[in-house]
Amino acid sequence: MSNALRVMEKNGETCEIKEDNMIQLTNVSKIYQNGARALVDVTLKIGKGEFVFLVGPSGAGKSTLIKLFYRDESPTRGQVTINSKNLVRMKEREVPYLRRNIGVIFQDFKLMTNKTVQENVAFALEVIGVSSKEVRNRTSKALELVGLTNKENAYPHELSGGEQQRVCVARAIINNPALLIADEPTGNLDPETAWGIMELLYDINKRGTTIVMATHAKAIVNKMQKRVIAIEDGRIARDDEKGGYGYDT
Amino acid sequence: MTLNSTRYIVRETVHSMRRNPWLSIASVLTVTVSLVILGFSVFFLANASNMAKSFESQLEIAAFVQNGTTQSDIEGLQTQIKGMPGVASVTVVTKDQALLDFGKTMGGSQSNILADLGGTNPFPDKLTVKATDPQNVVALADAMKGLPGVDKVRYGQGFVDKLLKFTQWLRWIGLGVVVAFGIAAIVLISINVKMNVFSRRREIQIMKLVGASNSFIRWPFLIEGMALGLVGGALAAGIVGMGYNWITMYVQSTLTFLPVVQNAILFQQVSVGILFAGMAMGALGSGFSLQKFLKS
Repeated sequence: MSNALRVMEKNGETCEIKEDNMIQLTNVSKIYQNGARALVDVTLKIGKGEFVFLVGPSGAGKSTLIKLFYRDESPTRGQVTINSKNLVRMKEREVPYLRRNIGVIFQDFKLMTNKTVQENVAFALEVIGVSSKEVRNRTSKALELVGLTNKENAYPHELSGGEQQRVCVARAIINNPALLIADEPTGNLDPETAWGIMELLYDINKRGTTIVMATHAKAIVNKMQKRVIAIEDGRIARDDEKGGYGYDT
Repeated sequence: MTLNSTRYIVRETVHSMRRNPWLSIASVLTVTVSLVILGFSVFFLANASNMAKSFESQLEIAAFVQNGTTQSDIEGLQTQIKGMPGVASVTVVTKDQALLDFGKTMGGSQSNILADLGGTNPFPDKLTVKATDPQNVVALADAMKGLPGVDKVRYGQGFVDKLLKFTQWLRWIGLGVVVAFGIAAIVLISINVKMNVFSRRREIQIMKLVGASNSFIRWPFLIEGMALGLVGGALAAGIVGMGYNWITMYVQSTLTFLPVVQNAILFQQVSVGILFAGMAMGALGSGFSLQKFLKS
């Protein structure tokens, strides 16, 4: 079934959606209200279970591209399909269900300041209506995984940047999402912790989760030998199956 | 809404009130103050309206019958006036009855009165007419003047006009006070709730990014708003109830001529109304303020 092709009629033209694609972008452009062209005619496929690095200079369009995946932004033109769901046609009330299947590690963590570490991580489960016992079990397992068991009851402002980053990681993976999006997940970490996070992501990927990671960490990209997509001026400049970082830092 | 979600919502509501105790207290006090003012203005309206009514109900037209009119002619006049549009009641006060009433006000016995007046009864027969609407008094009096057998018509000319204007004003002012403070209350509460929601807009945005549905985000806010509104309403009901009781007692012991409304049913209605108004204000306030932030 995984290679089955689905043919969809759309705007008079026919397009094929391969069911083993996690992410498919077709001629996507994004122009912000102030006229800034963040993405220009991007066409991209990322298969289920892939591990992809997004690299490129700051302001090249990486963040905009990532935001399209969990529908924080909608494209000005073109189609975005995630896990066989068309995000452009998706109704507003369906968006929460899409997001529950996507874990996001935000560049700025996006932790709720008036909730403890435990509550922040648990929130992703409470949203789905998981029983409180299961919430406790899975939350403590996730916190153990990122090494924050002893900070359960701390509030975000009591943590270092790296610790906050790891809370965000725990929240992103707790749902066993089909797609994990990471926007600079190692940006605030010392090399040792950064590699810890990378090992975690590697393991999660091994269990079948698709991972898209935007990063500036040259050493990590070069060492991991995964697919590398470079974005420059809103266009795909390079797409290598087993690539390196390719920029001088 | 599953049981697990319900548990989350209740816990979240309590947490949120504990984390922002000052904002919660401010919301409760806002509701209380506005509802106290609103409650008192309702009582003010009730009293103003009651006072106007009691003044107006004392208005009546006296039609004096010409001397020498027979009993049957008087009864004919009575039915004729009764048939006029806008007439509520017509009662005949015979000259004997008038003399008797006069004697009573003088405090003596009627036999002496008649003798004191020189053996003749000076009072004419009289028809007392009440109008269904006090506004009709002047027109009715004019119409009655032209009837055969009617000598003079008295209705407190000049005074009636002034009184009617006064009572009308009293009602308008009462209504104006209620409306003005009702609007003020809603504005105060919506500002308060907006501040509350605004202080949590980042939290709301994060909740949405993690996959919370709008209703999941909305419920804790709604229930918190309702709970705070209910507490504020209960305080207001107590203050208004006790305050009005005290004012009533004070007025009745010092300004005895003023009619004061003391109606247990009205009392109950106002108290229950204040409770529900508080709850509704809290819920509507948070609901409306949230709507803006939930749309992205």
